[in-house]
Amino acid sequence: MKRRVVITGCGALTAAGSTLDSLWAALLSGKSLLGTVTNFACPEIDVLSGAEVQIPGSDPLPESVDSDAFRARCCHIALVAARSAIAHAGLAPHAQALAGAGVVLGSTMAEERQVGDLSARWVKQGSDSVDGGFLDRVDNHKLAASIASEIGLSGPVLLNATACSSGNAAVAWAFDLVADGTTDVMLAGGADTFTHVVFCGFTRMSALSKTVCKPFDKNRDGVSFGEGAGIVVLEELEHAKARGAHILAEVVGYGLSNDAYHVTAPEPNGAGFVRAMEQALATSDTSPGDIGYVCAHGTGTLYNDQGEVRAMKAVFGDAAATIPISSIKSTIGHTNGAAGAIATIACVLALAHQVVPPTANLVEPDPEFGMSFVTGEGRKVALSACLNMSAGFGGSNVCVLIARAP
Amino acid sequence: MSAHPAQNSAVAVTGVGILTPLGDTLAAVCDALTAGRTSIAPEESPVPFVGSRFADFDATRYANVRGMRVYNRTTRLGICATRLALVDAGLIDSGFPGERLGVIMASTFGHLDTLIEYDRSLVANGPSRTNPALMPLAIPSAPGAAIALSFGAKACSITLADGGASSLDALGLGVRLVRDGRVSACVVVAAYGLIDELILSAKRAGQLAGAGEFLVFDERSRGTAFGEATVALVLERAGDARERGARSKAFVGGQASTFSSSHEGMIEALTSACRQALRLSATTPDELGLVLSGANGTQATDTIEARALLSLLGGVSRQPAVAAIKSSLGESEDASGLLSAASAIATLTGGLAPPIVGLGQPLVTGLRYLTQAEPVERGHALITATSRTGACSALVVSREAHVD
Repeated sequence: MKRRVVITGCGALTAAGSTLDSLWAALLSGKSLLGTVTNFACPEIDVLSGAEVQIPGSDPLPESVDSDAFRARCCHIALVAARSAIAHAGLAPHAQALAGAGVVLGSTMAEERQVGDLSARWVKQGSDSVDGGFLDRVDNHKLAASIASEIGLSGPVLLNATACSSGNAAVAWAFDLVADGTTDVMLAGGADTFTHVVFCGFTRMSALSKTVCKPFDKNRDGVSFGEGAGIVVLEELEHAKARGAHILAEVVGYGLSNDAYHVTAPEPNGAGFVRAMEQALATSDTSPGDIGYVCAHGTGTLYNDQGEVRAMKAVFGDAAATIPISSIKSTIGHTNGAAGAIATIACVLALAHQVVPPTANLVEPDPEFGMSFVTGEGRKVALSACLNMSAGFGGSNVCVLIARAP
Repeated sequence: MSAHPAQNSAVAVTGVGILTPLGDTLAAVCDALTAGRTSIAPEESPVPFVGSRFADFDATRYANVRGMRVYNRTTRLGICATRLALVDAGLIDSGFPGERLGVIMASTFGHLDTLIEYDRSLVANGPSRTNPALMPLAIPSAPGAAIALSFGAKACSITLADGGASSLDALGLGVRLVRDGRVSACVVVAAYGLIDELILSAKRAGQLAGAGEFLVFDERSRGTAFGEATVALVLERAGDARERGARSKAFVGGQASTFSSSHEGMIEALTSACRQALRLSATTPDELGLVLSGANGTQATDTIEARALLSLLGGVSRQPAVAAIKSSLGESEDASGLLSAASAIATLTGGLAPPIVGLGQPLVTGLRYLTQAEPVERGHALITATSRTGACSALVVSREAHVD
């Protein structure tokens, strides 16, 4: 017998700030937070455009994690979001209610900045630049372990690196661990920061927007990146009730699939997405008609937009044209491994406010699609369930279903 | 004859693919292990160290997939192990639907040499003079994605990066996905290819043993030794396997993951993971015939492993044999737990439990360390693993499916 799993806390650190109010206000504004990046530079690229995070001064990086906050920025961002999430859940680090709890963290690039740090020194010093601490610093599991150490977690502590579906995958694995009784509480989410690989790689692939990310717009020209982290606290329903927690939403299921089509390109017909969506619906006893909002992966690339829309049409049929759809990536950038987790939080906020946030920069929806994209401003809806879609390099798709609080 | 429902839903291992410097079949590797052979030796280039490396590894001897040429060593190793496992399970060219086949990769460092090469070129030469094809292969999910792509696995492609605990955690996730019916057959794969920068860093941190100094569970050991290896297991529901005429080699029972950031705390955490894994397998410590420990020759890890096992097995009248195959193969990080699982399968299905090579002066006494190969009568094996970051993982492999 599977147990019910609810969300009792959310923490997000994005270009919109470090509070849920600031995130929701930014998403509702329909405006993009993309701008000139000042905290990171890439060779040969004069001006980087992205949605940059300002880490609150009150949230320092513990010296025990790394003495260099620049190279450990991904870890730092993740920690800030985790602290916010447990505070929002009414929990304190090492609280009794966290006994046996764990964390699943997702990340696309994880500790890539540690390699960037080594590369900069290698150019001058060669192999002398490799110090005894490099092995520990470049260990991606440190991202999850740092959260567990600080919050006082003793259960499963997992680092899921499933490209840009990592954040959703983290929510999915954590959901299973709570649902099957392994633990009563799990933190789940994702974190990523700006890296050489992301900016230089996407520039060389001509996939980086030269303007701003415009998902589903006929004038789309690619991805815009953001840095950020999103963490949610998942809790078994009765456990949450017993401690008087404020229940924000319920995770009711998930689906996963893999395109196995190409190293970078998604399957054009969206067949992988279809399988993930159908599995999410089937395993949660949810019908397509229950879905009131699709929080799309919506990266602003032609291939993603086409595949995702085709999948929605295949799963929802004629109703696809009426289900409100938006992407938050044009507001806060594509936050890679954090994207699915921050989108989960967007779904929680949409359910709480009964409003679907708009897609910033979506001015002229691609006429081939004929979908109900939310543009300009938030749309009031009677919302009982959201479908949160994500996909990653290599073809991994994960969809998570989030419903109103029971 | 219809089997008990629990036996149908039990998760079975139906295929094993393994490549180590001691052999390229499970039988060959296990023969070498039980004979007390070791692949650990001084290696000269490019970074001198004591460890275990494949000599003249040629991936095309085992698999020939599109893109092999551009994949890094870890990815190529993983592709080879996956193909061997799928062949062993009878799933290659069988018409098995790719939509029901998943891949879970345990990989913390598998992308790292590509990332280092790519990033270093970006910094030194700029993006315009850097090979763009390296970019998608430089992210942590790349090895697993390449393996899934190579074999048309469309049910899932997941990468877990939990250091030394990765592959047991990956097995646990695989069991869950198979048991819940999200995936019909799941390849859980891990590979560890040596990376010069990591060897150099470990050497400079004083973690690596010198010549003749690498021993496991032994107070004379002066560090660990890295060892290349790859292994893949195919998981299926026993009933599904039987239906398609595949043989269940063994059964994966409970798996549990715990964490502590302190050395003392990890002893308790690993003990707790073992207890949970046994409970989930409806097995008691008395029923264990074998423990395959993740001890790796460092005082810290060996102490954690030994003291956790002492805590678990202290009151057990018939002490299970305790083995540690890293004494033969070295520390294979992400691949180590899966290597132990493969060794456990071979032992439980008629083989001998492998001795701990060179063990003479136990660091912690009170356990029945194996110093000679021996058969195992009882049908359950416990496997343990830890990461340097504090993750602890334990898993039970059984000869027979558990029946409620």
